Amino acid sequence: MTTKAVLEVRDLNVRYNTSAGPIHAVSEVSFDVFGDEVFGIAGESGCGKSTLIRALLRLLSPNGICESAVISFKGHDLRTMPDREFRKDILWREISLVPQSAMNSLNPVYRVGAQIVEAIRAHRRCTRATARERVAELFDVVGLQADLMDSYPHEFSGGMRQRAMIAMALALDPALIIMDEPTTGLDVLVQERILRRIRKIRDAIASSIILITHDIAVIAEMCDRIAVMYGGRFMEQARSLDLFESPHHPYTLGLKNAFPSIHAVGAELISIPGFPPGLIGPQTSCPFEPRCPFRIERCATETPQPVTITEQHEIRCFRSAEAESLRELAKSKATWHCSN
Amino acid sequence: MFDYILRRLGYTLITLFAVATILFVIFRMLPGDPTLQVISPAMDEAVQTRMKEAFGLNDPMWKQYLIYLKNLVTLEWGRSFVSAQRVTDILAYRFWNTLLLMAAGMCLTLVLGIGMGIVMAWRRNGPLDVCGTVVGLVFQATPPFITGLLLLIVLSYRLGIFPTGGMYPAGQRPDGLIDLLLMPGFWQRIVLPTITVGAYYIATPMLIMRDSMLEVLGSDFIELAKAKGLAPSTVMFRHAARNALLGVVTLAGIMVGFAVGGQVVVESLFSWPGMGQLMVESAASHDYPVAQGTFLMLAILVIGLNFLTDVAYSYLDPRIKISATGIG
Ligand SMILES: Nc1ncnc2c1ncn2[C@@H]1O[C@H](COP(=O)(O)OP(=O)(O)OP(=O)(O)O)[C@@H](O)[C@H]1O
Ligand code: SF4
Ligand SMILES: [Mg+2]
Repeated sequence: MTTKAVLEVRDLNVRYNTSAGPIHAVSEVSFDVFGDEVFGIAGESGCGKSTLIRALLRLLSPNGICESAVISFKGHDLRTMPDREFRKDILWREISLVPQSAMNSLNPVYRVGAQIVEAIRAHRRCTRATARERVAELFDVVGLQADLMDSYPHEFSGGMRQRAMIAMALALDPALIIMDEPTTGLDVLVQERILRRIRKIRDAIASSIILITHDIAVIAEMCDRIAVMYGGRFMEQARSLDLFESPHHPYTLGLKNAFPSIHAVGAELISIPGFPPGLIGPQTSCPFEPRCPFRIERCATETPQPVTITEQHEIRCFRSAEAESLRELAKSKATWHCSN
Repeated sequence: MFDYILRRLGYTLITLFAVATILFVIFRMLPGDPTLQVISPAMDEAVQTRMKEAFGLNDPMWKQYLIYLKNLVTLEWGRSFVSAQRVTDILAYRFWNTLLLMAAGMCLTLVLGIGMGIVMAWRRNGPLDVCGTVVGLVFQATPPFITGLLLLIVLSYRLGIFPTGGMYPAGQRPDGLIDLLLMPGFWQRIVLPTITVGAYYIATPMLIMRDSMLEVLGSDFIELAKAKGLAPSTVMFRHAARNALLGVVTLAGIMVGFAVGGQVVVESLFSWPGMGQLMVESAASHDYPVAQGTFLMLAILVIGLNFLTDVAYSYLDPRIKISATGIG
C-alpha cells in the first residue's frame, strides 16, 4: 500500500428531492482511497452505498443533488471537471464500475464481447481486432473461455455475466475499480468462486478497489480498510484488522453479532432489532439512536461528529471513550433485545 | 432464427387461408344479387342460364368453394363485371399504387414518430415533449378526410402549391414503375396524401417510442453505458433506442392493419388510383369479382407486412432464438 491517496473525498452529501421531502441519502462522508488498496464499504440495504458511488461517477438520477467540499482524483478536482472531459478521461479509463445489478447491466441486444470492445474503443484508439484480443485476454483472467465473447448476454448464466462485467471493468487498467455488491443475486457457491477470482485479481493488478457489500464477513478478508455506513453516514472507519479486533461503534458491534464470523466460531448470531432510518428531512440526532442499546440523552438531539481513536480509525459516537465496556455488553443478546 | 421464420411463414399461410374462406362466405351473403349487374332479367331465359353457368353460379356451394380456392391459387381471379378486364390485371396496376402511397405514409409515420419519440424521451418534459404529445393526439383525433380536406383547400385550391389529386399529370400515363418514379408530377401529388396519412397515424409510434425509451432509460444497462463514458448520443441511440425499437416494431405490424382504413379514405379523397379507391368503386357498382379481389389483395398486403415485421423483430432481438426452440 502506498501512502498517496488516489481518491480523496471530503464532506460529501447527496439528497434526493422527492414529493415527500428531501431524502438525505448520503451525509458528511469523508474518506481516502490509497493506491493499490481495497477499501470496503459495508452497510445495510438502503444506507446509501450505491448513491455514494453514483455521486462519484455523476450517475445520480436528475432528482439527486450532490454537494461536497473535495472530490479529488489523482490530483484532478472532479467537482469542477467539465462533463465531457470527465466522460472521456475519467470514466472507465480511470474509474470503472462493476454495478450492483451486474446481471442486468449487459445490453441484451449486443454480444458480450462487443460491449467490452465498445468500452475499450471509447477510450483508446485501436482496431476492433486489437480490442478483441484484449477481450480474449480479459476473459482468460476472469475464467471465461475466449470463444464465449460472441455470445449474447442471455446465453450466459448469472455467474458468467458477473465475470464478464469484471472483465469489462479491468479492460483499461483503471486506477480505481468500484465493485458495488459484486456477488448479490448469485447463489452461494458461485459467490464464493467469484470472490476467489476477485481476490486473485486484486493481487495481480495495480488498481485500487472500492468494494461495497452488506455482508461484513465478505469484506473482512478482502479489504485493507473498511468503512461501516449507516443512515447515509460513515459510522466507523478503520483498518480491517482494527475494525475486527477492536470495533468501537455500537452499530459495528451489532453488525458483527449478526454475521457468522470465522474468528469466533460458535458465537451466537444476534440481529439488531428495528429498521434502518427513513432519511427524510434534516438529521438532528445520531441516525442509529432509535436502535442503539447504548443511547444517552444527547444522542437524540445532536449528531455525533467523527472522533479519532487511533491513526486511521475514527467513529461517530458520543460514547467512543467507553468502547471497551460497550463491546463486552454487546456480546449479550439481552443487551440488544430487551432494554428497548 | 430460421426455425422461427419458418414457423411464422406457416402461421401466415394459415391466416391467408382463413381470410380467403371468410371472404368467400361474406361475398355470398352480401345483399344485392351480383348476377343482376351483368345478367339483365330482361334477357332470354336460356342466355341467363348459360351466363350463370359460365360464371359457375349454379354449382353447389362446396364445389364453388373448391373451385374458388383453386382459382385463387392459380391466380384465376375472374373478370370484372363492369369492364370485363381480368381482375388480376386491374389489381396488378392498383397494388403498386397503393403500396407506394402506403410505404410513403408509413415511412413518414415511423421515421418521424420514432425520431420524435426518442427526442421527447431524451428531453423529457421539455417543450418538444409537451407540444409533440398534444399535436400528435390532435392529429389522431382528427379524421383523415378532414386533415386531407384542409390540406387540399389551403395548399391546393388557395395557394396552388400542390395538385389537387391523381397520381400523375393527366395525359401522361407513365410507362411502368420506374417511369412513374421519375415523374416530378408524381412526387408533387404524393405529398399531400402522405402527410394526411402520416399525421393521422404518427401519435401511436411516437408515444409508444417515447414510453419505451423512458422505460429503457431506467435500465441497468443504460447506467452502465453511461459509466463506460460513452457519449450521450451513443447511449441514447445505440443502447436505448435500439432496445426501445422492439416495442414499436411489434406495433408496426398492427398499425399496418389500421393503415388500410385510412388508405381507403385518403385514396378516395385524393383520387389516388389504388386499391382503396377501387374497393369503394367496386363495392358501389356491385362489381363482385373486383371487390373480392381487392379485399383479398389488401388482406395479403397486411398479412405479408405483418410477416415482415416478425422477421424484422427476430433480427432486432437476439433473444428470439430461444423462444423459437422453446415453447412456441
Ligand atoms: N432516485 C431516487 N429518488 C429518491 N430516493 C432514492 C433514489 N435512489 C435511492 N433513493 C433512496 O436513497 C437511499 C439510499 O439508496 P441506495 O440505493 O444508495 O442504498 P444502498 O445502500 O445501495 O442499498 P442496497 O444495498 O439495497 O443497494 C434509499 O433510502 C433509497 O430509497
Ligand atoms: S451516538 Fe449514541 S445513539 Fe449513536 S451510536 Fe453512539 S451511543 Fe448509540
Ligand atoms: Mg446499492
